[in-house]
Amino acid sequence: MGRWITLTVNGSKRRVEVKDNEILLDVLRDKLKVKSVKAACWRGECGLCSILLNGKLVKSCLVLAVEVDGSEILTVEGLARDGELAPIQRSFIEHGALQCGFCTPAFVLASHKLLEENPSASEDEIKESLSGIVCRCGTYYEIIEAIKDASKHYQVRKKV
Amino acid sequence: MSFGAPYLTLPEFTYHKPKSLKEALQLLNEFRDEAKVMAGGVGLIAFMKERLLAPNHVIDIKDIPELKIIEYRKGEGLKIGATVTMSEIEKHDIVREKYVALHQAVKAGSDPIIKNRATLVGNICEAIPWVDGPVPLIAYNAELEIMSVDNVRRMPVSEFIKGPVEISLEPNEIVTSVYLPDLPPEAKSLFMKFNTGSEFALATLAAYVNDSKKPRDARLVYGAVSTKPVRAYEAEKIILTNKNISEAVILAAEKASKEIDVISDVLATEDYRRHLVKLLTINVLSRIFEVG
Ligand SMILES: Cc1cc2nc3c(=O)[nH]c(=O)nc-3n(C[C@H](O)[C@H](O)[C@H](O)COP(=O)(O)OP(=O)(O)OC[C@H]3O[C@@H](n4cnc5c(N)ncnc54)[C@H](O)[C@@H]3O)c2cc1C
Ligand code: FES
Ligand code: FES
Repeated sequence: MGRWITLTVNGSKRRVEVKDNEILLDVLRDKLKVKSVKAACWRGECGLCSILLNGKLVKSCLVLAVEVDGSEILTVEGLARDGELAPIQRSFIEHGALQCGFCTPAFVLASHKLLEENPSASEDEIKESLSGIVCRCGTYYEIIEAIKDASKHYQVRKKV
Repeated sequence: MSFGAPYLTLPEFTYHKPKSLKEALQLLNEFRDEAKVMAGGVGLIAFMKERLLAPNHVIDIKDIPELKIIEYRKGEGLKIGATVTMSEIEKHDIVREKYVALHQAVKAGSDPIIKNRATLVGNICEAIPWVDGPVPLIAYNAELEIMSVDNVRRMPVSEFIKGPVEISLEPNEIVTSVYLPDLPPEAKSLFMKFNTGSEFALATLAAYVNDSKKPRDARLVYGAVSTKPVRAYEAEKIILTNKNISEAVILAAEKASKEIDVISDVLATEDYRRHLVKLLTINVLSRIFEVG
């Protein structure tokens, strides 16, 4: 027994039945099978469950599913266009900005959002904006290099 | 639920999302102790996961238009509604330029993703002794507006927080906004937080003076050192009466470290916290008065 909510997940409309006490993270992973959204701490500390909710980065382990009825959700699955990876995704690959890869979806999504808003972000701004996400393998150096490198593509995109 | 361990799921409750303040207050009046207000939910959901709270009704106030407002009026001051997020406060020009201690406290707190949901009013209502939000607010003499179905009242933040997770709020009341008085153009305020890598501050200080050249009004508020934020009244007097400001800074720091209530806990001993109080005071006041 629950309520039906409608979400736009990575561009497609999805209807799903949820209970009032269900967490958005669980609904995304288990019911909607959006597996890039990772669960690790379940309490807001690690950032691996981050999604773009109506254009804002939030940690989905601290959001109820019922409250986001009618919302738009973007995860890393929705970044590629016509089979082409987004520049930030290519840059992560080129720089080897991962080891186990568990944190990668969150870092890619957060840095994509950062560069769209501020394509000329300084190193300090990059570090500050990603300070809510943890990489347990410690690939921060490569992550930051990947973002700095990808930023030129976003600068071009912002001009056109 | 699929993740198994019980503390990863939430207890059962009925969710409500009122569209108006009136509707929210009526719901709260009906369910009282059975209900909890939810703003950003960052604290509430975490508390429910740990079963520290298990309300039968959750009343989400995010859709109420008048609570989303942050607004500055010359002569009156700054009003921050209950669902204004920490991110919105951090980006606000007037906060950055005028209410510097608040800006610094918000900047130093949690992280940019949490701040997209967490609210300042929620931070105050949690009344956890180490949280940052109330400390600068008390330094500005800020007040809360609190409403129930049949009443509106105002209360200083300093009186609202009674102790660890203890606030002066009836079960049918909602905090609707926080009001910061307007500040004189010469006013200066700063916030500083001492922590060792985690969000748990060991000591914080928010300092306010009406005029750093001719101080007539000064407030020193310390957070994370006691069961609630505390003021150092004697140290404030030293700043207002001592003509030699470099000397006053040192004397005030020594006084503050002795006069306020300080606790020992797993994070730090009382002695260590008193030492931090002294260092924070010297640091912050030297910047405000541009000495040393
Ligand atoms: C990873 C992480 C790091 C953090 N770091 C910091 C930090 O460095 N410094 C810091 O100060 N805090 C920190 N916090 C705490 C966080 O800032 C607070 O939990 C948050 O501000 C609470 O706001 P909220 O809107 O989410 O409140 P909610 O979770 O919605 O509510 C919290 C409590 O207040 C009550 N409440 C909320 N709004 C109202 C209202 N308008 N009227 C009546 N009652 C109300 C609720 O019923 C609930 O009991 C951190 C939290 C996390 C998860
Ligand atoms: S799982 Fe959400 S922040 Fe860690
Ligand atoms: S690559 Fe393993 S956690 Fe970041």
